[in-house]
Amino acid sequence: MAPRPAALSARATPEAAAPPREATAVALLAAGAALCPFLLGWLSVAPNRLLSPRPAELPMTPAVGPALGLFLLGCLAMLLLARRERLLPWAEAAAALALAALLATAGLGARAALEGASPLARAMPAAGTWLSMLLLALAAGSCAAGRGGTPARFLLLSALGAAALLAAGLLDGLSVVREAAARGGEIRAALGQHLALAGGALALALSLAVPLGLLALARPRLEAALMAVANGFQVIPSIALFGLLMGPLAALAAAFPALRGWGVGGIGPAPATLAIAAYLLLPLASALLAGLRVAGPGLLDAARGQGLTSRQVLLRLRIPLGRGVILGGLRVAAVQAVGLATLAALIGGGGLGALVFQGIGQLATDLILLGVLPVVALSLLVDALLAALQSALEVGR
Amino acid sequence: MRRRWAWLLAQAAAFLLALWAAPRAEGLWRWLFPGIARPVWESQSWFVLLGEHLMLSLGAAAIAGTIGLAAAILATRPGGQRLRPLLDAVFSLAQAIPPVAVIALALPLLGFGAAPTLLALVLYASLPVMRGAVAGLDAVPPAVLDAARGTGMGRAGILARVELPLAMPVIQAGLRVAVVLSIATTAVGAVAGAQCLGTPIVTGLANGNMAWVAQGAVFTAWLALLADRALRLALAR
Amino acid sequence: MIRFEGVSRRYGDRAVVDRVTLEVPGGSICVLLGESGSGKSTLMRMVNRLVEPSAGRVLVDGRDVAQAEPEALRRGIGYVIQSVGLFPHWRVAENIATVPRLLGWEAARIAERVDALLALVGLDPARFRDRFPHELSGGQAQRVGLARALAADPPLLLMDEPFSALDPGTRRDLQVELRRIHARTGKTILFVTHDVEEALVLADELAVLEDGRLAARGRPAQVLETGADRTVRRLFGEESLAFHRLGTLPAARLARPEDAEDGLPVLPATASLKQALMLMLEQGTDRLAVPAEAGFPGGTLHWADLVRAA
Ligand SMILES: Nc1ncnc2c1ncn2[C@@H]1O[C@H](COP(=O)(O)OP(=O)(O)OP(=O)(O)O)[C@@H](O)[C@H]1O
Ligand SMILES: [Mg+2]
Repeated sequence: MAPRPAALSARATPEAAAPPREATAVALLAAGAALCPFLLGWLSVAPNRLLSPRPAELPMTPAVGPALGLFLLGCLAMLLLARRERLLPWAEAAAALALAALLATAGLGARAALEGASPLARAMPAAGTWLSMLLLALAAGSCAAGRGGTPARFLLLSALGAAALLAAGLLDGLSVVREAAARGGEIRAALGQHLALAGGALALALSLAVPLGLLALARPRLEAALMAVANGFQVIPSIALFGLLMGPLAALAAAFPALRGWGVGGIGPAPATLAIAAYLLLPLASALLAGLRVAGPGLLDAARGQGLTSRQVLLRLRIPLGRGVILGGLRVAAVQAVGLATLAALIGGGGLGALVFQGIGQLATDLILLGVLPVVALSLLVDALLAALQSALEVGR
Repeated sequence: MRRRWAWLLAQAAAFLLALWAAPRAEGLWRWLFPGIARPVWESQSWFVLLGEHLMLSLGAAAIAGTIGLAAAILATRPGGQRLRPLLDAVFSLAQAIPPVAVIALALPLLGFGAAPTLLALVLYASLPVMRGAVAGLDAVPPAVLDAARGTGMGRAGILARVELPLAMPVIQAGLRVAVVLSIATTAVGAVAGAQCLGTPIVTGLANGNMAWVAQGAVFTAWLALLADRALRLALAR
Repeated sequence: MIRFEGVSRRYGDRAVVDRVTLEVPGGSICVLLGESGSGKSTLMRMVNRLVEPSAGRVLVDGRDVAQAEPEALRRGIGYVIQSVGLFPHWRVAENIATVPRLLGWEAARIAERVDALLALVGLDPARFRDRFPHELSGGQAQRVGLARALAADPPLLLMDEPFSALDPGTRRDLQVELRRIHARTGKTILFVTHDVEEALVLADELAVLEDGRLAARGRPAQVLETGADRTVRRLFGEESLAFHRLGTLPAARLARPEDAEDGLPVLPATASLKQALMLMLEQGTDRLAVPAEAGFPGGTLHWADLVRAA
């Protein structure tokens, strides 16, 4: 946890009831989130998939009204709740409420806007709605900033809210939801591939970084070499590294056709997994080494002097003391893996990036969103899970 | 130090020479990629691509550096402390969204070309600068600030003559990361139509021309490594 | 108990410990004294093989430590260091139980032992057992460090400047405590310090190191005898050498066997001449009454005798 001297001292002073540091940012963001859709538009409607969308009014039907009211109420609640340190978690929950209400407003509005239009017509959230969602996410993040930065409560509640709205069919009017329904199988397959790419790369990188890191702990030369290589990979642009790996792997597959059966080839998941793993080497190895060094020289001397073997020193001292740092590196690496796997589609590796690049090729916003939204959700989920694990371990010591 | 600079200049010269030689080395490409009908990249000059790449990434890094530094200074002033939670939230959200996603999302709004890439570049490159500068400014010991106030310096004087110089190494490290990140992200921008050294990679991938992919990849990686080395050398004390 | 036989340790071509031969008798406190960098720690760490000698050998109880398996050797030797090195993620009780657990003692026996040790080092077991190291003061932490070293009842303790980071008052308390524990347990203790006062309070045997070489050794009184070695004079301070020497001499030996007059300040028979001098200065007198005690018939100590002895 990052220490927050300012907030702590504020808590200790008699006027502890003063608004916390977070209040200003949350208030600004909540106000912005409430205003954005009104200023920049709620919805856009396109006559069909090929024509570009135009701004549309939000139809104030009896269904839309309450949703809109709830959205504004959520924003207001967020602003007020954030004025008390104690209530910040509730402000975060209010942000989730506002987000769900905003989705409902857009979904119901889209349904109303399409009423009587041709079945080819499509409605989608306009820039104002998107921006409002972003601001709500940032507001929730600001509420959580003091507690390690991951607005887990917000993420969980808004995921539940969105799922409920989807299940209830309230969002069916939105083109991205229609597109998702049409491509359900494709998305699931892409998600599976994405997870396999990211997970495989993470496993591969771990299987290299852990033994090498342990060996490098007492070997400065090896450490310098490991860090130089890992740093070098970080500098090379990912797209170039993907490209660089294709040639050699294609040659390898040509020389040993048996390898093709394992998926090794110039294109496909193999070069992508390798390249992603190469990027994960640095965060994993450096966090591992830093974590194992949390136990300082004095402590190690005392431990060895009492007759702990180097294995016991590792298992009872270095790892328990450094696990927070090590897990922090794993967290960074896992999130990076999810992001980098998006590029795998460029070289035929599949994953959610395939939808993104298909969408770029057709300039189809919905398709891009269908690729990007799960990537973002997945990174946030991975990040929140590992953050929770990290803080659980830290509390448990 | 001298020798290192000389060595770096030699490497840069070798890079430029390779760019010049690439379109003229048809024999080499034919030998390396026997199955490909047109292995030589002829659509644009490599120097034009290099120029565009550098303009885009360095321009974005300059804008991002200014934004990042300004935000960091603001956030470390007594009144600006209230911006901190927002900065933290931006950092953690940005981590969850890969740059290519921002480029893709900006594409329908800004259209094909350099604009979506520029947006993503500025967004992502400003983060390391901001983080470095905030950390550097935070790390100035209170006793030093107290002493500076004691000598009668004003706020601006303390910032310019005490805080920024003391924080400079960390800020510079952030700038280096920003530039390297920009160069890397610019290459990804090729998928959204930005002209750069990544263009032959993307074009080659689309047309199944591995020779173009390989050339683009080698030159992009080379540029990034050169830039990294040059910045490390320039910032080494 | 411990014998260093022509022990050297070189780093590069520099001898950090240079041909040291030294014997530490069983049951005594031997203090290694020397300036920073003189090789005290290096010499001590050869006993439990945290450092291997480049030449010579170290015997513990007549056995060459090089023949022993290092971990087993260390579990049989208590080890206390200046930075204490309590494991921050373990409670006090778990810290003290480190070696017993490594040796596979039963839980009940360990718990009993932990409480006994806490009491021995002057900490209330009920209050301190379940604390974490960051909840202890420096002095308390070092007491726990001492308890941890004593946990498996090793016959030998190595202590490397254990009290150097403490304030003078706490340091004196712990020195007294260590002497008390030593008297009760009869351990052999090899104690490193650069503080001459501390060395004189604790030492049965004193070994002075300079630049890796043994400059002087023997009982403190022997080491400080008139015309002491140049290194010793420098270390103890040319002008206060005599004063320190008084500290090594018992007062009772100089007392004249005459009945003390009434009203003279009283000095216990076990006191040193230094304490006698301080008492005379404080009371503004030139004679002290030394009452009878076991093995001493009683008498009067005169200023003139004291000055001659210095
Ligand atoms: N691992 C090592 N490598 C190189 N030199 C060393 C090493 N360990 C100790 N030395 C050197 O050996 C000399 C003696 O070190 P040692 O730790 O024994 O001194 P010391 O008398 O305990 O000093 P202090 O009172 O400061 O603890 C020092 O000059 C030190 O720099
Ligand atoms: Mg030492």
